[in-house]
Amino acid sequence: MNREAVSFRESIRRTFIRYSMVPVVVVALLVLVIIGFSWTYSVTYRNARENRETAGELKRVTDVWYGMLAEVEWGFFKNGEVLSTNKTYNVLYDSCREFGETGNLVVLSPEFEVLFSSKGTVPYYLTEPQYYDWGILHAVTKAYGRTVTSLAEGNLCIGKGVYSAGVLKCIMVYIIPDDVILRLAGSGERYLAITDENGRIYASNNMILHDTYGKISKEFDKETGYIKAAGKLYYLCRTEIDKGLVVYTVDDMTDYIRVIMLMIGVIVTVFAGIVFITYKSTDASSEKYTEDIRRIEAAFESVSNGDFDVRLNTGSSKEFKTIGNDFNAMVKSLREQITENKELATNVAFSQLKQLESQLNPHFLFNTLDNIRFMAKIDVNAAEKMIVSLSGILRYTIRDTREEVTLREDLNNLQFYLNILQIRFNKRFKYRIDVGEDIMDCLIPKLLLQPLLENAIKYGFGDREKLSVVIRGYQITDRLVFVCEDDGAGIEPGRLKEIRETLGKDTNDTAHYGLYNIHRRIKLMYKGDYGLDIEAREGGGTLVRIVLPRTLKKPEN
Amino acid sequence: MDFLKRYKAIFIMLPVVAAFICAVMLFFKLNFKPERQPDLVVVSPHPTAFVIPLINEFENETGIKTEVISLGTSDALKRIMNDKDVDVLWGGSILTVSSYTDKFYACENPNREHFEERFEAVDDRITCFTLVPSVIMINTDLIGDIEVNGYEDLLNPELKGRIAFANPGKSSSSFEHLVNMLYAMGGEDPEKGFEYVGKFCENLNGTLLSSSSAVYEGVANGEFTVGLTFEEAAVTMLKSNKHIKIVYMEEGVVFTPDGIYVSLESERKNYAEEFVRFMTSENAQRFIAANLGRRSVRNDVTELGLLAPLNEINTISVQKENVIASKDMWIARFERLFDEVNHE
Repeated sequence: MNREAVSFRESIRRTFIRYSMVPVVVVALLVLVIIGFSWTYSVTYRNARENRETAGELKRVTDVWYGMLAEVEWGFFKNGEVLSTNKTYNVLYDSCREFGETGNLVVLSPEFEVLFSSKGTVPYYLTEPQYYDWGILHAVTKAYGRTVTSLAEGNLCIGKGVYSAGVLKCIMVYIIPDDVILRLAGSGERYLAITDENGRIYASNNMILHDTYGKISKEFDKETGYIKAAGKLYYLCRTEIDKGLVVYTVDDMTDYIRVIMLMIGVIVTVFAGIVFITYKSTDASSEKYTEDIRRIEAAFESVSNGDFDVRLNTGSSKEFKTIGNDFNAMVKSLREQITENKELATNVAFSQLKQLESQLNPHFLFNTLDNIRFMAKIDVNAAEKMIVSLSGILRYTIRDTREEVTLREDLNNLQFYLNILQIRFNKRFKYRIDVGEDIMDCLIPKLLLQPLLENAIKYGFGDREKLSVVIRGYQITDRLVFVCEDDGAGIEPGRLKEIRETLGKDTNDTAHYGLYNIHRRIKLMYKGDYGLDIEAREGGGTLVRIVLPRTLKKPEN
Repeated sequence: MDFLKRYKAIFIMLPVVAAFICAVMLFFKLNFKPERQPDLVVVSPHPTAFVIPLINEFENETGIKTEVISLGTSDALKRIMNDKDVDVLWGGSILTVSSYTDKFYACENPNREHFEERFEAVDDRITCFTLVPSVIMINTDLIGDIEVNGYEDLLNPELKGRIAFANPGKSSSSFEHLVNMLYAMGGEDPEKGFEYVGKFCENLNGTLLSSSSAVYEGVANGEFTVGLTFEEAAVTMLKSNKHIKIVYMEEGVVFTPDGIYVSLESERKNYAEEFVRFMTSENAQRFIAANLGRRSVRNDVTELGLLAPLNEINTISVQKENVIASKDMWIARFERLFDEVNHE
């Protein structure tokens, strides 16, 4: 993947986000998971415990009553008749002491006559004839001596038939006091119901679990686990104990879910807040922490744009301070070095210029002197004129130390040179100078034009008898153009190529000094697209063109 | 793309969060427990106080876990027709249910031979259960010295606006009363009975209740002085020590039995048959007669509880087919009459 480089500030910011937000999310999730699971576990655990305890207590309590009936029966057999009232009461009080309520123990004969009643009253459902084969009495006679538990007209009863040799001798029914069983049901902190196998509720601490027929509501008649009833979530425990009793305990999970939802809401809100604050603060702090980096970046950019006067002020930390100081020291030394280099370059260029412009061709000097010697014999006036011209040239070369002179001055000097050439070649050499008066006061490098003539003489004559040279000077917009054209022999292509290549180089390792020196001087003196070029046809003349910036001589005060 | 990359950490967290939520959902989902299915489903218009002792005893006796759905007669009938899971319709006058006998199953029931002859004789697919005659119920604290012995006495101007009667279109006990009125006051021709119904409507003085229970409760709590209700309701009120009196109309009382009907589509017909046998057994019928204010259909049950013996009551019979055919028409006609006399 092509990964784009991001700014230091952005990566610092991401680091902040990564190392602050991610742990927050992880911790928040972990907390949620732990709370959720421990909460559900604690709910189900406590529910199951209460269910178990209630079932255990219910079993224990009914065992007490079952034992009581067995004891009463045993007494019955021992005496062959019903226990004496006192003894029966003894058994009753002994068994029921812990409940604080004795309940009603009724003993009926097989003909449903009341033989004993601990409370002195007997409920209608044990005496009225339509109940003889109904309810608890029917259950007892059907059970043949087994102890049974049954609900009779809203009262929980325990009954047992006493048989002797297969013959029913009497029926014992113990009506459990409501308080005792309600105390069992009502103590819990959750919905609780005690039912029989068919779901008929014996006791409960609420009406939610009831249906209209006094049974446990269909929605709650389920095995242990999570259940949905009336659109709400509950946790339900169901335990069957012997004697046909079932204990239901139900937790309404709605509140737990609401609390967990609330917690999720709070955590999400806090998380959102943290995300927001982190996002904003990382923006600010990453800016603060990377301020020095941006300063350093800006300083480097200034330097690369050529501004060496920049100073880097960093101080956010020791390291950045060192970097700043070192940078400043570095830029300072760089600045000094550049200044030195500039001076050095100027010196070099100056000395080079001096060397270049002082190239007075020794051949020319020799030829001229030889001509003077010769002329002195045949034409004293001509010799004298040549001497005057030569000394003028030498004076111009030596005397004036300025690099730039006006065109007029240079043309004056050129005239000395032309005079000498005119005497030397007489009618073989013709020239024309065509320079407008308007550019006479423009500044040009000293001795600019003379090498053009030297060049024309050097290559132009060849085997020819005559040579004519035209020098033109004019201005185009802000440029001065000088053209030197001859009708001479031209330059052979190989040599022309060599000259042109030499013009493009910084040093000259050939013998062609004249033109190269002019070009080199122009390049050193003026910045820009200025210089010299040359065109030539073999046998068809040569054309040299010089282009310079047009600069007027400053008026002297 | 850039956004994705930038918040990679958050995007990694998202699936983790989603997985966590899914896990919690799954945890609860997998743990949802189904209901413990009943062995038998009974739909019934009987009052709960009537249902509870009988179902309790049935369950104790047979161990068949029974679910009772409480609905009005017409809704109960609709339910057993449309719901395959409902096995038994327990209650509903045989006059009302007779037109649907082809939807019911003929139970094997040895108890039938102990039925009174006229109840044994009905269609095999209908098991008569109890008799619920219509009665007039009087608040003894409010009646004063007004004599009420039958329908004629209800036209007494002193009772104007003090009579509780439910809309026969909404209450089946009211419809039974309407039928009773038509035959008792019109003789053999119910059409003649509408003359009385018109006058009766006038004396209602614009008051028509919307349910059977509003009638007997209204009389018991003194809102009305007399009410047209059914025997069982009046007896239940008597048993709870309300100051009321039951009057059997001297013009004649119609004794229509209600029944037990087993759905032809039931998949638990053996349990349903056991239910029918239990409810028509001597024990159950005796208990009902003695404790629950209904008359037994058995000839061997003589208990009456608080009920008046049959020989003291002027009983009349109705043409069953005529009643079944005319039901909707009669109800509509009653409503028209009621509107006429009360909105002119």
